Amino acid sequence: MDFSLSEERKMLKETVARFFESNYKNINKRSENVYLPEGFCKTFWKDSAELGIISALVSPEFGGLGGDGDDISIIFELIGKSLCVEPFLASGVLSSTVLSSVSKINIDLINEVVEGNLLIAFAHTEMNNRYEDSFIETNASLRGRKWCLNGTKSFVINGDTANKVIVSARIDGNVNDKAGIGLFLVDNNQITNRSYNTIDGYRAAELIFDNSNAELIAKDNEALSCIIKANSAGALALSSEALGIMETCFNLTLDYLKTRNQFGKTIGSFQSIQHRMVDMMLEIEQVKSAVMLASSTYQSDAKTRDKNISAAKNLVGRVGKLVAEETIQLHGGIAMTWEYSASHYAKRLIMIDHLMGDSDYHRDRFKLLSVS
Amino acid sequence: MNFEYSEKEENFRLEVKEWLSKTLPKSLSEKVKKYQRLTKEDYEIFMKNLSAKGWLAWHWPKEYGGTGWNAIEKHIFEEEIIKASAPRIIPFGVNMLGPVLIEFGSEEQKNYYLPRILNNEDWWAQGYSEPGAGSDLASLKTTAIDKGDHYIVNGQKTWTTLGHHADKIFCLVKTDLNAKPQLGISFLLIDMDSPGIKVKPIVTLDGEHEVNEVWFTDVKVPKKNIVGKENEGWTYAKYLLTFERTGIAGVPYSKSALNHLKIVSKKSLKNGKPLIDDPVFSSEIAELEIDLLAMEIFNLRTVNAAAEGKAPGMESSLLKIKGTLVRQKTTELLRKALGPQALPYLPEQFDEGWNEMPIGPDYAGPIAKQYFNMRKISIYGGSNEIQKNIVAKASFGL
Repeated sequence: MDFSLSEERKMLKETVARFFESNYKNINKRSENVYLPEGFCKTFWKDSAELGIISALVSPEFGGLGGDGDDISIIFELIGKSLCVEPFLASGVLSSTVLSSVSKINIDLINEVVEGNLLIAFAHTEMNNRYEDSFIETNASLRGRKWCLNGTKSFVINGDTANKVIVSARIDGNVNDKAGIGLFLVDNNQITNRSYNTIDGYRAAELIFDNSNAELIAKDNEALSCIIKANSAGALALSSEALGIMETCFNLTLDYLKTRNQFGKTIGSFQSIQHRMVDMMLEIEQVKSAVMLASSTYQSDAKTRDKNISAAKNLVGRVGKLVAEETIQLHGGIAMTWEYSASHYAKRLIMIDHLMGDSDYHRDRFKLLSVS
Repeated sequence: MNFEYSEKEENFRLEVKEWLSKTLPKSLSEKVKKYQRLTKEDYEIFMKNLSAKGWLAWHWPKEYGGTGWNAIEKHIFEEEIIKASAPRIIPFGVNMLGPVLIEFGSEEQKNYYLPRILNNEDWWAQGYSEPGAGSDLASLKTTAIDKGDHYIVNGQKTWTTLGHHADKIFCLVKTDLNAKPQLGISFLLIDMDSPGIKVKPIVTLDGEHEVNEVWFTDVKVPKKNIVGKENEGWTYAKYLLTFERTGIAGVPYSKSALNHLKIVSKKSLKNGKPLIDDPVFSSEIAELEIDLLAMEIFNLRTVNAAAEGKAPGMESSLLKIKGTLVRQKTTELLRKALGPQALPYLPEQFDEGWNEMPIGPDYAGPIAKQYFNMRKISIYGGSNEIQKNIVAKASFGL
């Protein structure tokens, strides 16, 4: 058993932590980035790429420097701590995972993503598909020798600024069939989008495809297993991000309990509050443990990988609600304000349960995977 | 990061497993599986086998006849004996008193008591709690008055587990009546056959007799039976309580209970279909399984840190809290899984040799009883509320 990080990973963690801290010093900086035209800071994104952060999310086989579960986990825990909104999930994890899992590898494209020159979003979710892997209404059809897409993809994170979008679409069969799915690469000039901010500070878009030209990159079993893998990678990244947020929420709350006076003493001196802090601390240790297991088995067979990731994401959903609500409650009124950082951490923590499968979805998936 | 055991550790696990399959009598593990009442002899058979193998004193250093195992080996050993449905190792002598004597006992005490513990010559009991001193242990009132070459002990201890089997008891007693709580307490070793000692059974809510009251009336105890210094017993008691407890989370118990729960939920029917196919019930099982999976890693993290020489601090308290909650949840879901089959209470069913027809399935009998019995685990060993106080005090700086 080895519970420690390798020397390289420790260095990576230190470097990335320092970089995030210096660029995301306070919550005002984040709020500025959220309202930039792209919904994030392009300079910061480019600097991240130069520092090798995107590269750390991609395997050396495809020109990256990392790509293991532990790499994803380290970087996203730090993303959680700084609450940064750059497209690490969309481009660095979801799209890179698809591009490096298809059988026809386009190494140049991956390089462009790793270098931060090209932003690729992953558009799988639709208005009527909750979190399912194969429920797809967007339609793909062949016109002569060219594929074209029709339909709408929803809640596509960074879907507005992405240069290209990876789109899941149905080539054949009924809406929920496991077979007949294709994955397509689409240029943004083929898409009409309506973009908006999400309640947790990200930028998303509704993408409308109207006879949009598309390049087929995977189909049938291969496409489905790419979608599943991307969703699992995303769920691992978000679980790690949630862990970073929980740790920050806990520390912010503890600091506040030491300074806020009521009834002539610090509110942290009350036992009822101390016990709730212990409950939070304990559940955060549980989440940390589940994330460690999930990240350390990310390279295993798909079933082990998905089972452990579902365990982590389910726990993150449950504990995330506890930590977000307790952070607000134990702070009191101050955590209800936009000005104070804890409210933004709490919002992101809650909304993570609405991405890549909520706690119910992952509990049910865990159930199926842990049967035999 | 990886959570796999090394080859050496796997071989050790195999060695423990093989030894258990050879030496643990089938009839005994069957009794444990069926929650039948164990006799004093049942416990002793297993412990004698362990001492013959040199594995009884699994928390002691080698020089005292212990195994010298590190935390990971202890963890593996404990997992395997629980998996094999062996009776539990009665901890009072070997796991509690032993380490205290090794650390604080006189040479004479070590030379006399340690070999007797190793050879199962003495059955020890723990004399800590009193009717007025539970969570607030330091407020204990049993007194030991100095009479020159001996003490005279008066008072009452309670919740004395298997005290009715005990030959000896280690007690916390007040030797300085004017000192504040925590000061003025001494750690005293007392023969159970001393005149003036009376043991009275306490029957618990499940109808079982496991714990006792122990009454002391003018009991004469030689002065050489004090461990360490007079009035410093609280330090030794705390040492004992915080003594490295790799198994505090009870992970292997919860794992086997979870397996049992899945089996019972397959056999129990709801609308004529297996209960495990009910989405609500199976969801409760799944979230319990996830909590347990996370706790197993949390426990291994702590065990691993202990093996590397880092003393577990608040982790022990956190694991105690979570471990008891998870284990209690397994008993709750087992009880729910039975539906009305949980109602019948046939105390005679748990006697050895009972061979009448059970009411309902044969696994139903112990389940509700076990649920009630397991309420104790979040109370004893420092209640979960006390554990929270400990964590808050040690790590929050509030």
